[in-house]
Order: sequence, then C-alpha cells, then structure tokens
Amino acid sequence: MKNLALLLIVTACIYLAACSKDSQSEAFKLLTGPTWVSDSLLVNKIDASGPEGMLENFKGEAKFNEDGTGNFGSFTGTWRFSNEETSIVLTSDSLQFPLSAKIAELTAKSFKVTTTYPNPANPTAPVNIRMTFKAK
Amino acid sequence: MKYTVILITILLSTSFNSILSQKVINGKVFDNKTLEPLTGVYVIYEKGRGTTTGPDGGFTVFTDLQTLSISFKFIGYKPLTRAIELLPGKDTTELQVGMDMELMEIGQIVVSANKTEEKIAELTVSMDILKSGDFLKTHITDPQELINKTPGIEVLDGQASVRGGSGFSYGVGSRVLALIDGLPVIAPDAGNIKWQFLPMENISQIEIIKGASSVLYGSSALNGIINFRTADATNTPVTQFFAETGIYGKPKNKNWVWWDSPRFFSDLSFSHLQKIGKTDVGIGINLLNDNGYRKFNDEKLGRVSLRIKHFNQKIKGLVYGVNLNSGYTEKRDFILWEDADQGALKQDTSTVSLLHGTFFAVDPFMSFNNYGRIKHDLRIRLQSAGNRFPVRDQNNSDAYSAYAEYQFYYRLSDIINFTFGASENYIKILSNFYGNHTGINLAGFSQIEANPLPRLKMVAGIRIEHNRLDGINDKIVPIFRTGINWQAADYTFLRASFGQGYRYPSVAEKFASTTLGSVRIFPNPTVQPESGWSSEVGIKQGLLIGEISGQADLALFFSQNSNMIEFPFGLYPEGLGFKADNVEQSRVYGYEAEFILNRSVGIINSSVSGGYTYIYPVEFNQTTNKSSDIYLKYRRKHSVKLSSNTTYKKFTFGLTLYSRSKMLNIDDVFVNEFTREGILPGFYDYWLEKNKGYILLDENIGYSLSKTITISIAAKNITNLEYMGRPGDIQAPQNYSIRLSGKF
Repeated sequence: MKNLALLLIVTACIYLAACSKDSQSEAFKLLTGPTWVSDSLLVNKIDASGPEGMLENFKGEAKFNEDGTGNFGSFTGTWRFSNEETSIVLTSDSLQFPLSAKIAELTAKSFKVTTTYPNPANPTAPVNIRMTFKAK
Repeated sequence: MKYTVILITILLSTSFNSILSQKVINGKVFDNKTLEPLTGVYVIYEKGRGTTTGPDGGFTVFTDLQTLSISFKFIGYKPLTRAIELLPGKDTTELQVGMDMELMEIGQIVVSANKTEEKIAELTVSMDILKSGDFLKTHITDPQELINKTPGIEVLDGQASVRGGSGFSYGVGSRVLALIDGLPVIAPDAGNIKWQFLPMENISQIEIIKGASSVLYGSSALNGIINFRTADATNTPVTQFFAETGIYGKPKNKNWVWWDSPRFFSDLSFSHLQKIGKTDVGIGINLLNDNGYRKFNDEKLGRVSLRIKHFNQKIKGLVYGVNLNSGYTEKRDFILWEDADQGALKQDTSTVSLLHGTFFAVDPFMSFNNYGRIKHDLRIRLQSAGNRFPVRDQNNSDAYSAYAEYQFYYRLSDIINFTFGASENYIKILSNFYGNHTGINLAGFSQIEANPLPRLKMVAGIRIEHNRLDGINDKIVPIFRTGINWQAADYTFLRASFGQGYRYPSVAEKFASTTLGSVRIFPNPTVQPESGWSSEVGIKQGLLIGEISGQADLALFFSQNSNMIEFPFGLYPEGLGFKADNVEQSRVYGYEAEFILNRSVGIINSSVSGGYTYIYPVEFNQTTNKSSDIYLKYRRKHSVKLSSNTTYKKFTFGLTLYSRSKMLNIDDVFVNEFTREGILPGFYDYWLEKNKGYILLDENIGYSLSKTITISIAAKNITNLEYMGRPGDIQAPQNYSIRLSGKF
C-alpha cells in the first residue's frame, strides 16, 4: 500500500511539473500590450490605404491578443511570431493565404512591418509593402 | 620474532591444507530447449560467494563442504537451485545445468528502455516487441509496413507517429528515432529514417518505445524509438532464405487502372549465422524489385549486411567486432497524383524523378563486461548516403556522419546501478539542394536505477546536449526522465513514467530550397528546435489460465510538444510556397490496451493478439496554457489491430485486421479554395467523400513441405479496400504473394 501511495505521489509530481507555464518574451509583451492604430500603409512607397487601395482592409485598429487571436483592420484571425520573433504571420478566413511579414520595428509606441507580394503582372518586380502602426 | 615465524608457518600450513582439501565443481549451464550455452548466468553458492558463467556456459566452484546448495539466476530464465552432494574421495564433480525460459510474455528480455537487459514487465515505459518469426509469416518485408501495422503507430509516407505524437511534414525530419542495435539510422541531411536500408533479413526482434526517449537517445527520439536488433549466432549454424513473388490486383475504382500488363513485385532474402571458434559471423542479403501499383512509382533495391563479433579468449568479458550495412536503390517516389478521377494512381509528371540512392555504414564496437558488475561499451557508426537524380541533378546530395558513443555501467549493489555515457555526432552535407553544411552534436547523459524494495524499481536520468551547425550553436537544454515500476503481485506490474524530449531541425528543414511541379519550398535557417514531454501510467498483467498464457497491458498517456515544425503554405517575402516553421503546439491525451494470448494443445498452437488506441489530439495555446478545440493534423482518434495465428500439423493460418478512424485534420493548403486544385487536382471533393474510417484485412496460409522448407501464400487487403495515408497517397489495392522459405 505504501508503494502504491509512492507511485501515485510520483505520478502527481510528474504531472504538476509538466504543466508549468512558458514565460513570455519581451516582443510578445510589446505587441500584445497596446491597441495599435494604422499610421501609414504603403505599397511601393505610395499610400494604399484609400478606397480600393491594396491595403485598405488593414486601415484602422489592430489588436494582437495574448491567446494568438486578433483583429487587424477589418480582418479577424490569428497571429504568431516566426523566424525567432523577427517575422509575424497573420491568418484570416478573409485572407487568401497566411501573410508573413518581417518586423522592421517593435517598440512600446511603434510597430512596423515589411513584406513583398508577387506581382502577377510583372513577376520580376514584386510589390513592396510597408505598414506602420502607432500605439493608441 | 620466533613466535611470529611459528604463527606464519601455522597460518600458511592451514591455508595450504585448506586449498588441498577443497573440492572442485566444474559445470555448464545451457538452455533446456535449444541446448545453447548460457553466458553470464549468476552462480551463487554458500553465503555471499558466487561467479558467472563464461562464453561456453562453463563455471568452476571451489568448496570445503560436503553438501552444497547452488542457485542459478539469469534474466529471462526461471531461477534454479540445485543441491549437490560431493562424494568422499572424489575431488572433482561435473555438473550439467539446464535452465528453462520464463514462458510468460512478460518475461521477454529487452534492451532499449534503459540500454541494458531487463524484463519487459519491469520497464517504466510502454514497449512493443515485434519478433521476426511473426512478421516473416505475414510476408511483410518493408519495415514501414510492419511498423505501420503496429498498435498505436501510423507511418505516413515514411514518417512514423507514435500515439499521435507527430503529424506529417512532407517526409522531412522524424520525431521517432530508428536504431540498429542502438545506433541511430537517421539521414543527416533530411533527418528521415532510411527504411529501405534496415537489415530486415537478419533481425531477431524490433523494440518500440512509445514516448519521449531523448534522455538516452538524444534528438529525434522526441516521440519514441524503434530499435532493430540484429540476431546473434548460435552454436548451431542457422541459414534462412525466402524467395517471394507477388502481383497487385486492380483497384476498386476501375477508372484508376492505368496498366495493361500485370504489376509484379519480388523479393529474395538470405541470411546465415554461425560461430567460428570464438567469433560470431552473420551475413544477410536482400534483393527487391517492385514494379509498383502506381505509374512512375517503382523500386529496385539491393542490400548486404555483415556482422562479426569476437569474444576475446584471454580477457573474459571482452567482446569486439564490426557491423557493415550497405545498399543501393533505384526508385521513383510518389509525390503528387495527376487527378482524383482518372489519375489517382498516376504520378503528376512534373514531380517524377528517378533516384539512385546509396548507403554504407561501418559500425565497429567494443564492450567489456566484468561479471555484470561493470560494463564498458563503445560503439561507432561511420555512415555515408548519397542521392543522385539523373534528371534533377540540382537535388543531388551526399551526407556523411561519424557517430560515437561510450557508455559505462556500474552495478554498485543489488539495489542500485548507474549508467554514464557520452556521444558525439559529426555530420557533413554536400548538396545542391540544401547547400553544404557541417555540424557537430555532443551529449552527456547519466541514469540511476534503484530497487529500494524487492518489487520496486525506480529510474531517473538526465541528458545535456550541445548542437552546432555551420558554426552556430543551439541553446543547451538539459532534459530529464524518471519512472517507477512496482510489482504489485506475481504477474501484475504497475508503472508510471515521465520523459522530456527535443529535436533539432534537420538540415533539410532549415535549408531545403526547390521547386517540384507546382510546389515551391523556401528555406528557413531560423527554425527552432522542437521540445516536449510525455508521461504515462500503466499496468501489465501476466496471464496464465489453464492452457492459455499471455499478457494484457493498459496505459493512460498524456504528451505535450511545443514548436513542432511544419511546412505551412503562405505568402512569404519570397513568394507563395511552403516554408518550415515552428507552428504546432500539441497535446495528446489517450489510452491504449494491448493483449497477447497463446494456447498450445497437442498439435494445435494458436495465438491471438491485438491492441486498441484512443487519442484526443488538440492544439494548445502556449500563453494561456489551455487546450483548444482544434484537432492536430494527420491524426486519427481510434485505431485497432487484431491478429490470430494458428499452427495445425504442417499448416499455418494467419488473419490480421487493422482499423483506423477518419483523419481529423490536414494542412490548409489541401482544402483552401485558392490552392487545393493547383496542388492536388480533385483532392478536396475526394477528401469530403472518402475521409472515413476503414477496416483492412490481411491473410496468410503456410504449409511445411519438410522440416526446413515452407511454402506460403499471403493476401493483403483482401476486401480490396480503397484507403489513403497522407493526402494523395492511395494505398495498395488487393495484392497476393507466394513465398518459398527455408530455415536450416
């Protein structure tokens, strides 16, 4: 009986030890802290946030929740870091494909991402995207 | 001074007389059934005195007593005590001792769980054993097929998943480590298992640990290990062979038939084991030609293995030797189908590529066993693997590795023993596909096993590993394992275990960059190691009911893995395509029940075995630590295996049933309306209609033509079931084979 108790104690310790929570990184805290507001949404250095602009749907507020969900302009979906937290990947039912972008800057007040997009009209000249957000 | 001399003289005289009056017992210990000598048997006589048997099973005992009680203990055999009466006037007594193996399944001896011999019932982890005699009867020659048909394991296009611990990542990287006699056989470049080069023609048994085993086996053992143990030579030379040929039937969907002439496959296998003096020699040869049931998917394979093991005559317990494994293959792997309507068994020509693959491994080894108290073990593997694609030479690669492992075992007492070890693995990759890379992995591990009470066993171990690829160091993370086994009754064993695991990304996951048909793959050098843990509680019950013997096992398990690498399709800065990334955070809860029953009555021997595994595999959120309701990809909730085998006079009958429930989730790229038709035409509708559970039936019948020659027929997928592994990978239709085999 004593052995059985020992067995149960060891098992309980194993489960408790295994259920510890992972710590959060600095980048995670910076991104999930504030609500972000789009500041500039550029395609090939030209504003694309206007009506029928390529980045129109990213205009407005963006919120990256701690549980990996979020709102990015008019998109609702999920986000995750990639490439050792140097990139961010956004997924949404409203996006054709998951969107991966490099994080150019992430501070308490500013969040900037850049990426390129294949240009169907000219495959040798991809579209360069740069999005800047400010903390609300 | 005078008294001192007298005292010494008396003492010497007494000792001399004692030696002269001692009697000698020379004995030999052997297996009662095979009559093979048993090496390393503990021979215990009088109080606290004992020895062990040598390579020929021999031992010598000196005693002053007229009657003596000698106990013989050997793992896997029933303990035996013999009372000896030494006759007056006879100085030397000869003794022959036959020992009987433990008949129960729970007495089977395994080595993989703790890198030392022990009974399967006393393990702290779940382990399955596959015996060569069993799988040879079923005409299974491909180790992938064999492992895939084991309870709780699914192999998707070469990637094994134990109890749902792994998904499918397009054949790159393996979370289950394959070993030959404890040495890893993972490709240094793609990190996958080289299934086709495993020496199946000379295997004694395959041991599968279900759960993280990284503490003893390092990276890639995140989800478990499969250890292929080669057979040892016996005093009687053993030669085995088989010649087999077979034919694929037509698939249930007649629109898929693309061939005009029958699709054949054939296999020749030969092995020979023999002792020559103090040297064991084993040789194995296998030749395979599989035309395949799919267009542009075929294989020609040749494999040779040699095993030499020498027992040093001068230094008792010193053994050394070398294993050689080599192979050559010409094959075309199946990647994407043409379409679901007419071309599910035809490969899209844009992805067809012929591969000329070579494999060569030299494994020198040396071990010294000092009466089971101290053991040194040094093993080395020098491995070379080359891939040549005559049409796509940009995908050529050569991968070299030099692995060395030293292990020191010390039995401090009957209660406690220690294992210390260190390993090194150097890799060099020369490839257009991945680029050129070098890396080194260094590890140290230690483990303590204790039996604080006669029926209680506790194990704890730790490993620290350092990985360096192209001059960049990975983070050093110590990992830990522990377990406990308590023999609650004569045939009842309770166990609990916890083990951490991790896996460094393979070179392919970091650096693969290619275009295959419509598929583009981008490199990601920043992809991080995977890590996780698994735990379980279980009970193993030996069964002995009248003429029926066997075992039953029940395990409850829970595993969690983080940063699992997948190849998500997306819009990357490089364009649209696949790129490795740390995407999946997985949790798998479940239970598994397995049993084996054997019955032997007169000329009828029969056995029934099986297993049922239930898993609940979901993603979890690392931040909130809560499980989600999103199922993990490429997992199934239920799997069942039932197998029966009966021998009656000269006949053998076997029937095996496999059943799996539907696949719960797959990559978005196969269901996304913007990508699915471009990747796998027609797959989405096929998936909606056909992703259901299935029941597969295999059957075999054998007839012994003589004591040494057997002829057998096997029918696989006898109901001609249409089923699929990973997306687009339709499995073989009904197929038949005939085999002539011999053992003498």
